[in-house]
Amino acid sequence: MMIILYFLIVSAVFASLSFFIKNKILHIIIAVFYSFMQIGLTIYAYLNINNFDSVYFKFDSLSILLNGLLNIILIPVLFHSKYYIERHVATIKNRGRFITMIIILSSALSSIYFTDNVVLVWVCLEITTICVTFLIYHERYIAALEAAWKYLFISSFGITIAFLGILFLSVQGNNANEVSLSFTHLNSIAHNIDPLFLKIAFLLLITGYSIKINVFPLYAATIDAKTTAPFAVNAITSTALINGGFIAVFRIYAIISKTDSFKWVQNILFIVGIISLFIVSIQLFKVRRFKRMFAFSSMEHLALIFIAISLGKIGLYAAMLHLVFHTLSKTGVFLHFGQIRAFFQSAWIKDTGDYFKKNGFSALVYIFSILTITAIPPSGMFVSEFLIFKALFETKQYITAVLIIILLTIIVYLIFKHSMQLLFGKLPENFKQENAIVSKFEPVSQIFLFSLVIYLAYFPPEFFTELIKSVLQIF
Amino acid sequence: MNLILLIILMASLVYFFLTERTSNYVKILTLQGTLLFAIALINLIDISTLALILILLETIIIKAIIVPQFLNQLRRTNNLRRVAQSQVAVFYSIILIVSIIIISFFAAYYVKNQYIQLSFFTVSISTVLGGIYFIIIHKNLFNHIVGFLIIENGAFLLSLAVGGEFPFLVSMAVLIDILMAVLIIGVFVNKIGSTFGDMSISSLNKIKD
Repeated sequence: MMIILYFLIVSAVFASLSFFIKNKILHIIIAVFYSFMQIGLTIYAYLNINNFDSVYFKFDSLSILLNGLLNIILIPVLFHSKYYIERHVATIKNRGRFITMIIILSSALSSIYFTDNVVLVWVCLEITTICVTFLIYHERYIAALEAAWKYLFISSFGITIAFLGILFLSVQGNNANEVSLSFTHLNSIAHNIDPLFLKIAFLLLITGYSIKINVFPLYAATIDAKTTAPFAVNAITSTALINGGFIAVFRIYAIISKTDSFKWVQNILFIVGIISLFIVSIQLFKVRRFKRMFAFSSMEHLALIFIAISLGKIGLYAAMLHLVFHTLSKTGVFLHFGQIRAFFQSAWIKDTGDYFKKNGFSALVYIFSILTITAIPPSGMFVSEFLIFKALFETKQYITAVLIIILLTIIVYLIFKHSMQLLFGKLPENFKQENAIVSKFEPVSQIFLFSLVIYLAYFPPEFFTELIKSVLQIF
Repeated sequence: MNLILLIILMASLVYFFLTERTSNYVKILTLQGTLLFAIALINLIDISTLALILILLETIIIKAIIVPQFLNQLRRTNNLRRVAQSQVAVFYSIILIVSIIIISFFAAYYVKNQYIQLSFFTVSISTVLGGIYFIIIHKNLFNHIVGFLIIENGAFLLSLAVGGEFPFLVSMAVLIDILMAVLIIGVFVNKIGSTFGDMSISSLNKIKD
């Protein structure tokens, strides 16, 4: 079967239609149909788990899990895009372009999740670079241009570095046929690949893809991008796109887990995780904008996931759980930022204040969101972080655990400190109540997403647990 | 023949650091594109017609014609002639690039493997590192594109060094991807030139908190 190929063709048709036809109703219809098509793809993949779809794609548990997450977040993202477009996008032409880019980005992400070919993952990640660049620059202001340029250039640089990694990986698996660079084939010949080449490949791949995963070393451009990108775009780039970069690295990690170089790679992940955590705890002191703070929060969670994975199989379940919860909660947080931006007409922390008094219900939702991303009970992320620490103690990494606790305490303190200004701080004199936009329905999606995190953490359905457990069987 | 072409490629890499004229950068890139085609043609003996067309597209058509044309247009639009914005003196840069080449020799011998062609591997590492260094020492965004293209040339050479031949469909996707990225980078550089008034990286400081 070639279901994904058909999916990509129909997506291309949808994207073209919304690009060329300037009709508001048509844009909504396309967005709705595209969401249904995405859900259909996930259901089909679940029903055909572990089957191939042409030679380039395979439906495995990890790809189904991540595409399912993309489906869940895509509906609120498209719903909130309506608010974003109404408030910030003047022309119908630009509205069409926005929907087009979201469709291309989402389709590229689905391809990344489902593809079984290391080069196709690379190609799709490069497509996401181009889409995200245009989405960052969507409002056409100077800071957005700067951020878009930085993202485009550093990302293209990173992607080229990753390509070098793929070349090293291809040394022994090269027959120039369709399966030679498939993950399945590389898994089967992992033992035969020169360990030095494997290590170089992994190092280059993690360096190159770090801009997508939002971790050390190429994190800076992606943080800048998230500082200026529209909130609806951030809701995807801080979650599903990160998952795309993650799966690209994780699949290589799974291949190396079958070789003697496994310990070395685990150390690399651990180092990347710890350095990223250090950077977040320092950078949060300087943060002055909400989106920048949330972008660093994503970096913190991915750092924790890397540390958990570096512990081996024991930390893997916690890492996967944390990835799922991070995706859901960070989408909610960025969507909520859209409301803060509409209420105070500013993205700066200093321009906000007295949120509790002025917009009580939304303020409650914001507290809910902050509790969720800082992993404070009843947040579901508390469960995954608890499991990460359990894994750390079980592997007798006491000093590391204490160090992480200290860094997390700093991070939580700083996030709350910045949030206090919004919730209870003095309202700036230039605030005009008549300019504040409040929508009753907007917080609903966030409540749903944060509640879903709690539900999946404390009452996980069987199929969800089974999916995560079968991810562990990759090793 | 191989060795001569590789030596010319290496010399062209050093020349990037000797000259400061943007037109010369474009000429060297054209030369490198042509050299890469010649090297690929000599070494890929059992090559299929489709693969040959693809290599012809990637090297001569894209690397030696389309991209240089595009860069020249970019140069003219932004009135770039001599870009003396290197943060390191030419003398030191030459010492450094020669050191990079020597280190690449040692690195290549360290990873010596039956599957890789050592001479290509050495030049590719030098080219990639040289491209990264070129980006680091220049403030001008136009030069950043040049540095990026040098790295791309190094990546192409590395694919030859490891005997890299991807399936046609995948190679095509890679090719279109790279071309798109370079063109879009160029468009954005143009936009930055017209918005900020100059193309120096130091004018891009609006985002930091």
